[in-house]
Amino acid sequence: MLLHRFILRSALVLFLGSGQLSGAASGDDAAALLRGSVEEVLSIAYSGHTNETLAARVRPALEKCFAFDIVTRQAMGRGWRQFSATEQKRVTDLFSELMIRTYSGRVVGTQRPKIVFGSPVATASDRCEIPTRVTTSSSNDPIAVVYRMIKLPAGWRIYDVLIEGVSFVANYRAQFDELIQKGGALAAIRSLEAKLAQPLPSHS
Amino acid sequence: MNQSIFSILVLLLCLSGCAVSGNHSAAKAVPVHPSAGDADFTNVPVQKTNDPLQRLNRSTFRFNDELNTYALRPLAHGYAAIVPRPVRTGVTNFFDNVNYPVRFINSVLQGKITRSAQETGKFVVNSTVGVGGLIRVSDHISSLADVPAEDFGQTLGVWGICPGPYIVIPVLGPSDCRDLVGFAGDYAMNPLNWHTLGIIHCAFISDAVSIALSGTRFVNGLPKSVESYDQLKAEAVDPYVAMRDAYLSYRAAQVKK
Repeated sequence: MLLHRFILRSALVLFLGSGQLSGAASGDDAAALLRGSVEEVLSIAYSGHTNETLAARVRPALEKCFAFDIVTRQAMGRGWRQFSATEQKRVTDLFSELMIRTYSGRVVGTQRPKIVFGSPVATASDRCEIPTRVTTSSSNDPIAVVYRMIKLPAGWRIYDVLIEGVSFVANYRAQFDELIQKGGALAAIRSLEAKLAQPLPSHS
Repeated sequence: MNQSIFSILVLLLCLSGCAVSGNHSAAKAVPVHPSAGDADFTNVPVQKTNDPLQRLNRSTFRFNDELNTYALRPLAHGYAAIVPRPVRTGVTNFFDNVNYPVRFINSVLQGKITRSAQETGKFVVNSTVGVGGLIRVSDHISSLADVPAEDFGQTLGVWGICPGPYIVIPVLGPSDCRDLVGFAGDYAMNPLNWHTLGIIHCAFISDAVSIALSGTRFVNGLPKSVESYDQLKAEAVDPYVAMRDAYLSYRAAQVKK
């Protein structure tokens, strides 16, 4: 009954924190870099390109700033340890593809959102959460988006996004848990391949 | 009749094994991000969900999916083609404004007096300057912008009542026992339903007008609902679980606001 509001309000915001985040040593630095990255990605997203070209254009930026390998491992949960190295690589590639496609599908056909950044909150010595409020043309109310970031040797990376309290990785982990328990890595790979073979939905 | 339905819903809530405690919940809170000691980031448990009706729920989910494909999506696309987005937004704003008593009463019931005052301010400003609620002027007033909307399901949550089993309702979609009761409560608090419920008798509001208003609200919201559902389905490897997890997490976050 109420979920459609959440899903629609989450349009655009899933990956708006993308862009390269590196070299920062504190939450404040991560926030400053996130702010710059948002601007970079929005510039790409709203430069008038079509859905197909946008996916290809944003891919390099997303690969640099998102810890796709960590996001994938979290989404697969404990089942990840049962995968062979080849299966892990294949799942990571497919899941990264799904995330990039999701981003591209959500950005097209909407107006540039307004984003207000909150102060970063340190959750560990190498991790922080950055709250933001996003206002889109398709939603009256601002959307609460929290970016979870981790400091890796290569720099700060996003490892989860919470939209209105819903964790992206936890949601996928719930989906993959039963799938992997029943069919292992093969089931995960087949479901991702099947999902990527489907066309994107059109906007009203 | 309506009292009977409400009684059944309350009974459902009680039978679902709910108690006024936080020990039983549809989505038990578990850490959703890895700890510093979780070197490979895979050791975070999956949220335990209270979904004893899963077989029935999955059947209802499939029914709703078919309904969406063959009836609601064509209707939504047709409506969106005829009615431009600004008009749809105005209609949504109007119905949201009329729904003010729901948000006000629930803010009071939750002891959020400041929020109830903000809701009143929004209603006054939008009803007058906003031309009967068609324009959300309140969004441009900092003290009235971004006020979380309260409903009876959230009120029950604040009072300590657990969500109970997850339920997929035909046509309406995901819910839980607590929100089902909350839905009935909100229905009764909405002025558009007061004539139907016999709370008020207004000469110029007939049953036909009341049904027409409800129908307009439903159809006007369809383009957004269908688009949202299509997005979720396109991104999910298991749409049923994706919907369930998102719904329960979202509602749990709303109760905490």
